[in-house]
Amino acid sequence: MKPVEKQTLKAMRDQLGGYAWDDDEISELVEPKLGIITGFQDLLDQLEILRQVDLEAIPPAAEISDK
Amino acid sequence: MNASLAFMPIEKLALKLRNGDISASQLIELYADRIAGLGADSKAFISLDLEAARARAAAIGQDIDAGKPLGGIPYACKDLIDVAGLPTTGGSRVLADNVAQQDADIVRRLEQAGAIFIGKNNLHEFAYGATGENEIHGTPPNPYDPTRLAGGSSSGSAAALGYGLCAAAIGTDTGGSVRAPAALCGLVGFKPTFGRISTDGVIPYSWSLDHVGTLARSAADSAILFDALAADCRKPEATRLDRLTVGIPETFFFENCDGEILDHVDRLMTFLREAGASLEPVEMPSMEFTRTVSLTVQMPEALSYHNRYLDQRGHLYSPDFRAGLALGQCLLAEQYIRARRLMESYRRQMNLIFEQVDTILTPATPVIAPPIGAVEVTVDGISEPAGNAITRYTSFFNMSGHPAITFPCGMHSAGLPIAAQLVGRHHADEELIETARLVETGFDFELPLPDLG
Repeated sequence: MKPVEKQTLKAMRDQLGGYAWDDDEISELVEPKLGIITGFQDLLDQLEILRQVDLEAIPPAAEISDK
Repeated sequence: MNASLAFMPIEKLALKLRNGDISASQLIELYADRIAGLGADSKAFISLDLEAARARAAAIGQDIDAGKPLGGIPYACKDLIDVAGLPTTGGSRVLADNVAQQDADIVRRLEQAGAIFIGKNNLHEFAYGATGENEIHGTPPNPYDPTRLAGGSSSGSAAALGYGLCAAAIGTDTGGSVRAPAALCGLVGFKPTFGRISTDGVIPYSWSLDHVGTLARSAADSAILFDALAADCRKPEATRLDRLTVGIPETFFFENCDGEILDHVDRLMTFLREAGASLEPVEMPSMEFTRTVSLTVQMPEALSYHNRYLDQRGHLYSPDFRAGLALGQCLLAEQYIRARRLMESYRRQMNLIFEQVDTILTPATPVIAPPIGAVEVTVDGISEPAGNAITRYTSFFNMSGHPAITFPCGMHSAGLPIAAQLVGRHHADEELIETARLVETGFDFELPLPDLG
């Protein structure tokens, strides 16, 4: 997977809809300066690893039954 | 009036109230005086409702209903929780004018149990962060060392209790935001099984991970509060330490941790063994990507809620929360769904472990309260963001949904409290709290009161 580029995130913002974050805020995701909990690229890299995990038919977590 | 009353557990205060040794009005005045003296230093409160508290206490008079274990007990709650007629600000400029029309379910339940609400506690803006820093209302300091953090995000709740400004506090816990500040401040922090305490009337941060929880002075007090807060609370089944099987995680939870914290948790393990408990190593699910999974659930959910304010009031959010929300918009739907499926996988793996053990013991935090303003903390030569460290041992159980309680078990040579965490089976909240109560009763350890000058 290639590293995410600012241009990609700007295109998502402009072409997919959603809140119009400032360009500086989009830059923050690519080159973090404020200390977001995890760098966005690291997060994407780890999500790509998690994508390889076969979760079979496990559904999303929902209510916790008392049975 | 004796200041030690301000630090007295609910259990003992309630007895004094019922015996007529003290009136509800006197108790309110005790805390009101302390808030006048220490409220500004503690940065614990965003708003107060003392006149209403005084009126409520006067109405109760000397007639404390023995059937109401919280009768006349003053409490505070995190400013994410609605109290009719008062602003619920989330600690943010965004909702400075957001006056609640009705009480949250939990406020109603506490009122029915006889508790008296006194004020709203400071927090990390909209619960986004574990350091408890708040640029509007300030950063609540640790009562044991004002140069250190109380921890967050329920920072004001921990400070209010730690400074002796109320008898109990209600917070929210999405990754440890009740348990971690309680641990850092020498208090007992409890989060229930996911869903057992209503979140209606509480500003959401992440619906899939949010839990309402309690901060108290003892496990016994946590039981009293849980009884009032959970609609389906029951008496705990018979719980004995000598019949307990305690799981000790083989990895992650005892790694990269302050040596003195490990020593004190080790002492606790020795106590449990000597009390007849069986301690068994347990292999936990892989923790390598759990923070990533948690964030991938949190941020899109937070964005989805806050979208209602962004267009009109987006400029009023702090820059770091805006950055987190922006991240939420750049994740894919499948990544979010996969993260929630991984949460379900964690739940199933943990339920298998709980077929072998009754409870799991871990340190509550890998570090003592970090200095205010510290961006990173370093343990064993490894640095990480302070907020990550504070919740490193707690956040997994928000995903698995298991009940967890943190309680003090020692003092660090730096003069700050050390705490342990017990985790229980789904819906075994009552037995978990009872186990913590038994430990609290038997374990040879006494926490000194903070020196507040």
